[in-house]
Amino acid sequence: MSQPSPSPSSTPFKFPTYHASYPPFFTLQPNTSTLTAQYRKWSRLIQRYCRHHRLYKLSLTSTIDSPLFKNTELKKRLSLQDARSVLEWMSRDEGGRRIEWVDQKGRVVDGRPREDTHDTCWVFWKRPEEWGDVIAAWVEETGQKGVVLTFYELVNGEGTRGEEFHGMDQELFRRALSTLVKRGKAQVFGGEGAEGTKFF
Amino acid sequence: MSARRGVGLSAFQNRSSLSTSYASHGASLRSAHLTSLQTQLSVFQSLLHNFALQHADTIKSNPTFRAEFARMCNAIGVDPLAGSNVKGKSAGGGKGIGSLWAKVLGGDVNDFYFELAVRVVEVCRGSRGENGGLLGVEECKELVKRGRGIGGGMDVSDDDVLRAVKSLKPLGSGFSIVNVGSKQMIRSIPKELNTDQSTVLEAIQVLGYITCSMLEDNLGWDHARADTVIKDLLGDSLVWVDLQAPEAEYWSPAFMNDFED
Repeated sequence: MSQPSPSPSSTPFKFPTYHASYPPFFTLQPNTSTLTAQYRKWSRLIQRYCRHHRLYKLSLTSTIDSPLFKNTELKKRLSLQDARSVLEWMSRDEGGRRIEWVDQKGRVVDGRPREDTHDTCWVFWKRPEEWGDVIAAWVEETGQKGVVLTFYELVNGEGTRGEEFHGMDQELFRRALSTLVKRGKAQVFGGEGAEGTKFF
Repeated sequence: MSARRGVGLSAFQNRSSLSTSYASHGASLRSAHLTSLQTQLSVFQSLLHNFALQHADTIKSNPTFRAEFARMCNAIGVDPLAGSNVKGKSAGGGKGIGSLWAKVLGGDVNDFYFELAVRVVEVCRGSRGENGGLLGVEECKELVKRGRGIGGGMDVSDDDVLRAVKSLKPLGSGFSIVNVGSKQMIRSIPKELNTDQSTVLEAIQVLGYITCSMLEDNLGWDHARADTVIKDLLGDSLVWVDLQAPEAEYWSPAFMNDFED
């Protein structure tokens, strides 16, 4: 179903027409039902953008001037505050929990979004459990159930080259595996740096 | 000679017999015509019947072909959509034909339009948040074409979409076709636009966007009037606002329909 995604920025990201040529897209709409539709569009766009560029985390202050939030041709931009609202919507249930705020140390932060604490977030174009499914499916397909595989092998090994999870963020990979452990589909052992896993 | 001159008394008798024979001949000609026309029509019907059955696949898959077929049916007073639930439009002479056609085409062509109608409803509902329930026929067609539903997109023409929306009528669903300017739009929320609102939407179609002062300058409206109309349209999700322009600009949501994601 999913072909290997292109490596970072090998092809330019193609923005949808409403981002390329529709100025109101960059102003959060005053009408609630329109706004919800707009949030949904932004959410999908951000996920697709991050997926294209293989971004797992996004920092608002460093992305706000990127083409994602700023259209130089139209001379329109999503303001920092509005971008934060979009992400905040994405972090909620109605947004499918597609992002998760973290602080500088990578710890998850909750509560109302504030300028000083809510800058960086995970962008889950695949949620950890979805990643888990992808990895489990690969193990199943390649007949490696019950085989001990190291983390390094799975993420960076030759065998997974071309797979979507090849070269993915270590921490996210760990989280993906832990969702599998929780569901009783895998077991993780070994210490930091030399962890291995076994799938059932 | 004398008979031809017709001046004698017998001429009266001749004349009356002549007119009766003319009349009877005329009647027989008329009936001959009628029977031959009836035969022609029935032959044509059966041919059309065969044609419809034979080309059912093409009718379903090729929008141009379908439009031509529909036009042909219309021309002889046959409505391909007049199914068992909708009484044939062609009253009188076409009554028998209407039901016949429902039987002939029911399985294929009717289903096609009902299926399309379901897609149209899906598309309208799906985009309601963005466009306030007013979707251009053109855009709807594109969305149906690129649809991601079961069975993928359907290749349809404007005409098909219009028919599909019409076929929803018996359901009392509130789906209707409205004309805004030169554009036909599908209204999926039963609400009337007032004249001012229509005017503004029309202007947006032509100019791309509108501002309060544009309305004031071009239509001679006072500020309150322009402001109210725009607020109403915003409230109904029928326009989107761009606040990063020198003066707030109001845009049509038609651009939002993009299934690239």
